[in-house]
Amino acid sequence: MSELVGWADDYFWGAMVVLRVFAVSLVLAVVIGLIGSAMKLSGSRVAQTIANAYTVVFRGTPELLVLLIVYFGAAVTLTAIGQSFDASVKFIDIPPFWAGAFAIALIVGAYMTETFRGAFLGVDPGHVEAARALGLSKFQTFVYVRIPQMWRLALPNFGNHMLSLMKDTALISVIGVEEIVFVAKIATPVTLKPFTMYFIVALIYLCITTVITLAVMAMEKYANKHLVSSR
Amino acid sequence: MNFDIGLVFESIPKMLVGLGLTLELLILSSFIGLVLAVITLLMRISGRWFLVAPAVTYIYIFRGTPILVQIFVIYFGFPQFEFVRESVFWPFLREPFWCCILALSLNAGAYVSEILRGGMLGVDKGILEAASALGISKTQSFIYITSPIAIRLSLPAYSNDIISMTKATALASTVTLLDMTGVARTIVAQTFAPYEIFLSVAIIYMIMAWMIQKGFGMAEKRMSRYLKPAAG
Repeated sequence: MSELVGWADDYFWGAMVVLRVFAVSLVLAVVIGLIGSAMKLSGSRVAQTIANAYTVVFRGTPELLVLLIVYFGAAVTLTAIGQSFDASVKFIDIPPFWAGAFAIALIVGAYMTETFRGAFLGVDPGHVEAARALGLSKFQTFVYVRIPQMWRLALPNFGNHMLSLMKDTALISVIGVEEIVFVAKIATPVTLKPFTMYFIVALIYLCITTVITLAVMAMEKYANKHLVSSR
Repeated sequence: MNFDIGLVFESIPKMLVGLGLTLELLILSSFIGLVLAVITLLMRISGRWFLVAPAVTYIYIFRGTPILVQIFVIYFGFPQFEFVRESVFWPFLREPFWCCILALSLNAGAYVSEILRGGMLGVDKGILEAASALGISKTQSFIYITSPIAIRLSLPAYSNDIISMTKATALASTVTLLDMTGVARTIVAQTFAPYEIFLSVAIIYMIMAWMIQKGFGMAEKRMSRYLKPAAG
């Protein structure tokens, strides 16, 4: 364990990168999920088809593959665009951090879409009608009536998606983002203690997922406190 | 930038070899995972703390860490210890294939045991009371009454888990295995045509996921056939 001392700061900054990817992709995934579920619930056949295709594709493809497609695909496309302007351009890529965060957001966004859709359907239609009858606009109804009621219903699944999002962040070490799995990878040849190095990574993830689980439990308690009848 | 469809057809034979390994990983580890899950479930519902505690810890650890990290701990980490290298398991743990099988099975075991527990909790209490009133022993009622209903109730979640397992087998490519993703990554490294290769592999994975979903849907329909007479 003493060999860890020299690497503590690397692990700390690696963990910070993990948390940053987590935060960025969580926000993106929620936005994608809201848009996707709104499209699925809209009357437009085109919007429904697009949203359905999106969820089918991203729920059926391995996370690693999505990540590789986003990162290398973006590099190839950007390079081609760059070369059409200036032939001397050799290679352009997007920062792996953003490619990773975006890829993970796309994957988790597909799951969020389904969760949000179910939760929106769980909101009493009478409330929505009442809001419309009181003269709230469609947008106001969405923000003040639907969302406050739907997030409580979405919470249990939302928590699970947050956990899988957190665990997906481990993948971005594959495209060279310097997070904790990457730190373990470069620390191993120096310390010759691979088990210790990777075990610490597992422990860090376990701590973070535990915190997320507890936070979701607290949020569920807060969201359901008006339901005294359930006890 | 142009889409080279010829390259896709050229690489199909190589990808099919990779598909074989992917299926091997999937089938072996989901089978071992199921066995582990049943053992864990039995430990969990046994009511004895020295059986419950290890089961709960196992589930907590394997559900709380990424599969990639689990594979790395097993594949890169275990050889650090002298006793692992001298044990009888070393010929297995030396191979990336068996390390992946181990990691994926342990992971599946943790998830599936929770799914089965969820199914068990969904079994109507009244049925079990009726069983004990009829003088059926606890073991018998578990085998003949709880299990069939619990299996039916957990089928949808189990099919989702098998799909996640299919996706998780792609991680085997990170420890040098040439599964479908591994093959795709080597071809892309040679040709640098990410769209053609990765997208065609993605389509194969999607077809697999679709088939799993349909298959389990049919199984579920068959198992629930006593519930409702067919409409019409």
